[in-house]
Amino acid sequence: MPTKDEIFEKVRTTLVDALNVDEDEVKPTSRLRADLNAESIDFLDIVFRLEKQFGVKIPREELFPESIFQGDAEFVADGKVTAKGLAELEKQMPFADLTEFRKDPRLDKMEDLFTVDLIVNYLQKKLGG
Amino acid sequence: MTLKDQVALVTGGSRGIGRAVVQKLAAEGAKVAFVYRGSQQAAEELEKTVAAAGGVAKAIQADVADPAAARRVVDGVLADWGRVDILVNNAGVIRDGLFVRMEPENWKTVLDTNLNGTFYFCRAVADQMALKQRSGRIINVSSVAADHVNAGQTNYAASKGAVNSFTRALAVELGSRSVTVNAVAPGFIETDMSEVVRAKGGDFIAKKLVPLRRLGKPEDIAGVVAFLAGPAAAYVTGQVLTVDGGLSLGAVTG
Repeated sequence: MPTKDEIFEKVRTTLVDALNVDEDEVKPTSRLRADLNAESIDFLDIVFRLEKQFGVKIPREELFPESIFQGDAEFVADGKVTAKGLAELEKQMPFADLTEFRKDPRLDKMEDLFTVDLIVNYLQKKLGG
Repeated sequence: MTLKDQVALVTGGSRGIGRAVVQKLAAEGAKVAFVYRGSQQAAEELEKTVAAAGGVAKAIQADVADPAAARRVVDGVLADWGRVDILVNNAGVIRDGLFVRMEPENWKTVLDTNLNGTFYFCRAVADQMALKQRSGRIINVSSVAADHVNAGQTNYAASKGAVNSFTRALAVELGSRSVTVNAVAPGFIETDMSEVVRAKGGDFIAKKLVPLRRLGKPEDIAGVVAFLAGPAAAYVTGQVLTVDGGLSLGAVTG
């Protein structure tokens, strides 16, 4: 099983190729959309490249569940993810650190969860079984 | 030869405009797979004609209206040639008739082939072009009848109008991956499909309504498709290019 550093190196290579960014721009804390300028199609591209790079299958919406809450009153109220929504998020993304997001769970902030570190954690869980 | 070693896929390739597109792309150096539905003899003849001219063309039987067909066809092309650089969605049908008598079946057949078939094939090549290759050309064959409508063609006009909008929207989505998506809107072209209308009023249309004073030939369309597929059109996307000898200008001459 690869170490966290080894996974990070490969993820960085993947992001450099997919997003056309420099290596030193890709830090563990970098947010894909806000810091690395990823667009919607880039998320598909990243998943596609990670699958190839790591030889794993990444089901749709498992790594980046971008739209799971959209338009669902149970999970979102007044633009914020509800307690029920947060519980669901925790279930769907056990590899995510939700500490910051819990403080201000605005739906439009959810994409800030998608960081380089999130991908590394996800892959570590996935590869470690 | 502007398309040397490229791989092209053309639907509705055995006859009419599609046949001319297959020949033109092959003449420009592309390896061309083409889909035909029923015209097996015409398809086999076209394979031979292209081979005799020094090109490569391969016929594949499928109905583009079948949701499962596109995946099968594209997988076959990838297995043989490893990539798809050019997709030409040309397969189209007409079921003309006045709306008050139009059977749902005639509506559905036209939409299934002209619009849904285009969706299925675009969907089947999108991953390959956008994510794997990061390059590609998609060319949808539309019609001037999308905007310059004729009585008896509510189904056809709707299908081609939808193809035009689909073309623009898909161009936006795939632009960041260097995949261009354009449409060609032919006017009155001498094909089997237009035979009935031509027999009724072809001469009048050519002499009075077409500034260039002749009906179009399939080759007139094929040349523009080849342009959109080639290096000269690298910066063209989301466009519907009308190729109709000026018919859509709406001028009556003579």
